[in-house]
Amino acid sequence: MSGPLLVGYTATPSGPVVVEAASRLARALDERVALTMLLPDVVRGAVVPPHAGYESAVQESAATWLRDASASVPGDVPHSTHLQYTDSFSEGLLDVAHEIGARMIVVGATSDGVVGRTGLGSTANDLVHSSDLPVLVVPAAAASRSATDSAGGEGLPRITVAVGTRPGAGALVHEALALAAAGDIPLRLVSLVSLDLPGRVEHELADLTARAHVEKVLDDAAKTAPGARIEQTVVLTGSSFTEAVAGLEWLPGEIVLIGSSRLARPSRIFLGSTASKLLRELPVPVLVVPAAATPDSSNPNGDPR
Amino acid sequence: MSVSKASQPTPGSAPASSSEGLSSKGLGVGTVGLIGAVVIGLSCIAPAYTMTAALGPTVSAVGVNVPAIVLVGFIPMLLVALGYRELNRMMPDSGTSFTWAARAFGPWIGWMAGWGLIAATTIVLSNLAGIAVDFLFLLIAQLSGQAEIADLASNPFINVAVCLVFMAGAAAVSYRDMQTTQKLQYVLVAFQVAVLILFSVAAAIKVASGDGFDATPVSWSWFDPFAVSSFGAFAAGLSLSIFIFWGWDVTLTMNEETKDPERTPGRAAAITVIAIVALYLLLAVTLISYAGTGTGEFGLSNPDIQDNAFFALAGPVLGPFAALVSIAVLTSSASSLQSTFVGPARTLLSMSHYGALPPWFSKIHPRFFTPGNATIVTAIAASVFYAVMRFVSQNVLSDTITALGMMICFYYGLTAFACVWYFRKRWFDSVRSAFFTLLCPLVGGTILAVLFVTTLVDSMDPDYGSGSEVFGVGLVFVLGVTVLLLGAVIMVWQSIKRPDFFRGLTLGTDAPPSLRTTRPTEATGV
Repeated sequence: MSGPLLVGYTATPSGPVVVEAASRLARALDERVALTMLLPDVVRGAVVPPHAGYESAVQESAATWLRDASASVPGDVPHSTHLQYTDSFSEGLLDVAHEIGARMIVVGATSDGVVGRTGLGSTANDLVHSSDLPVLVVPAAAASRSATDSAGGEGLPRITVAVGTRPGAGALVHEALALAAAGDIPLRLVSLVSLDLPGRVEHELADLTARAHVEKVLDDAAKTAPGARIEQTVVLTGSSFTEAVAGLEWLPGEIVLIGSSRLARPSRIFLGSTASKLLRELPVPVLVVPAAATPDSSNPNGDPR
Repeated sequence: MSVSKASQPTPGSAPASSSEGLSSKGLGVGTVGLIGAVVIGLSCIAPAYTMTAALGPTVSAVGVNVPAIVLVGFIPMLLVALGYRELNRMMPDSGTSFTWAARAFGPWIGWMAGWGLIAATTIVLSNLAGIAVDFLFLLIAQLSGQAEIADLASNPFINVAVCLVFMAGAAAVSYRDMQTTQKLQYVLVAFQVAVLILFSVAAAIKVASGDGFDATPVSWSWFDPFAVSSFGAFAAGLSLSIFIFWGWDVTLTMNEETKDPERTPGRAAAITVIAIVALYLLLAVTLISYAGTGTGEFGLSNPDIQDNAFFALAGPVLGPFAALVSIAVLTSSASSLQSTFVGPARTLLSMSHYGALPPWFSKIHPRFFTPGNATIVTAIAASVFYAVMRFVSQNVLSDTITALGMMICFYYGLTAFACVWYFRKRWFDSVRSAFFTLLCPLVGGTILAVLFVTTLVDSMDPDYGSGSEVFGVGLVFVLGVTVLLLGAVIMVWQSIKRPDFFRGLTLGTDAPPSLRTTRPTEATGV
């Protein structure tokens, strides 16, 4: 599967962070960045009279924002800009994505004031519950991490895959292997299994289950993609989710893949509760991958569309 | 006449950036149908709010002749709106009056026209919020059955506090551009009209059954503008009636946004104005015949009820159904607050865009795509204005309405003259041109100029309006002059800080050449 990375751009503080993350991934995958700005449809209600003069001022402003965004993309990453009117921002992004054949959508998360935590804006929230394309959510915290890295970095140092036992795992691992193979990027496997289990299960039993599961995933991976470099496997444990996640180390520019919950319709994204928690805690961009096209198998074509 | 916009250095001149295949859909072309345009027009005029605010002051100016004033008051509005439409076609710019007057008469007059628009809309925002506060308390009183709650609205501290909350809420809604859906707005407008008709019919029935408060027999002379006692009274009434039709012009200026730009705006404007005139006449005739023009408990000249007539009359006329009127006025004020907020905010944005104000005002919100900063400033100005007026004037609402009429005359008049002067080389291109760019706006502008001067002179009398006075001069006069002088002071200050605009470097004067003489030169490629 290939195609440009569609960036839902806003001229907010999160804008440059999103562009930076998308550029890095695009470089690794040798893809184009499609900077997209959506404007609300002029006539949505019957209260405020539409005014051509004001709308053109908005358009002009949007064009300037897009030019600035375009200038901030590193020179070696091909990019394009798009401006689209829409009723709903999430639908608009999906429409544009399908029109240009994008392989994923990249959006920013809002920092909701609580230090280190990530909140989802309404657009990002809609997307992670309905998109049929992978969605990369970039937290504001990703900026400070990559700032230490010189000039936007070279590419992706590593991809972390967060796996649970849920049916989505097969498709997720598949997607991760595909990404890793495309950019020759090492993988790290993080198991959420013990956190997924009901709270009363004994620690040791949880640990055992998780390790067994990781073994199985590794086995599967070795069969489907023998060349993949799986550098490290980690089983997350801890009394609290926050604590467990805080123990993870991150390379500058690293991204995380998580799957959809079992509530997801085939080929669609639906962020489960564990994944939502993870998304809020992680300081790095998170790629949410749609469920498999058929509920109980990994997608044989590797292409949910 | 062709619609030529590309040559104008307005914010509209930049084409939408759209590379690599994706085309932007343009300005939502073909999205407003006829009904949609009429509903937007009615929402902007907000008849329930307008009539409750304007009926009292108009009665005290012209007595029973309100119907005549409603009929005559429409004429200058129509004439100016026709010129407004020509300008909007030629230069669709969010600065409207500001931009047009600057193009015709240069930066200084343009600045003051923009200021007039901002001042008028800011004043009406404070009045709207004030009316909404009254009706909120009345509604609570009606629903809870405890009449004394309605009296809380007259406590200035409670009143101002609640009003500021209203204003903040309305500003937040505008800032985030949260609009009700078209369907809901259709329902709200239909409800508003239905309640007003019910209100009128109920008043008529009371009069017929002898239960009128001060039953006054309806007479044809009510419709005769020459029956008004003096020219001063006539002018005062007329400047109020400008206010009641204010907002109607949006139906004419929605061109490209309509499904059929050739016909929809004209039809929508005609339907809207016929509906609104019929509604106003019905209300004026039935309520005057019910309550009379005396100063008794419910008399329309009673200063205590004058600034909010429906507030006092809903109970006696509709009895148990009075709450309907409160709901109608509240919803009408709410949508009007929102549509009114965009006016000054967009003008501030445009003024800033051309360097007539600090660049901070021209920031468009990156997520909501509204003139966010300008909206906040407008809300603060309107809140301060209301709070000050509430403590200075005994009848804050009726005085603000009169001052507002004056302000509208000022900037609409300037806009009308701007139209005449801007198109001076095209006056005699065609009969149509002569009519819409010379005759109509010239007559309309002259009427408004006369009204402005007459109101200004008359309002010096301390007895004018509600009778509030400052230093022995009528409050309405002080208000109008202070607001205009304040504008002039800020203008001079800005001209020192930002001379480029005032030297005509960012928005020069211009007059489009006659189409008849330019055709041959165009052919030679000049």
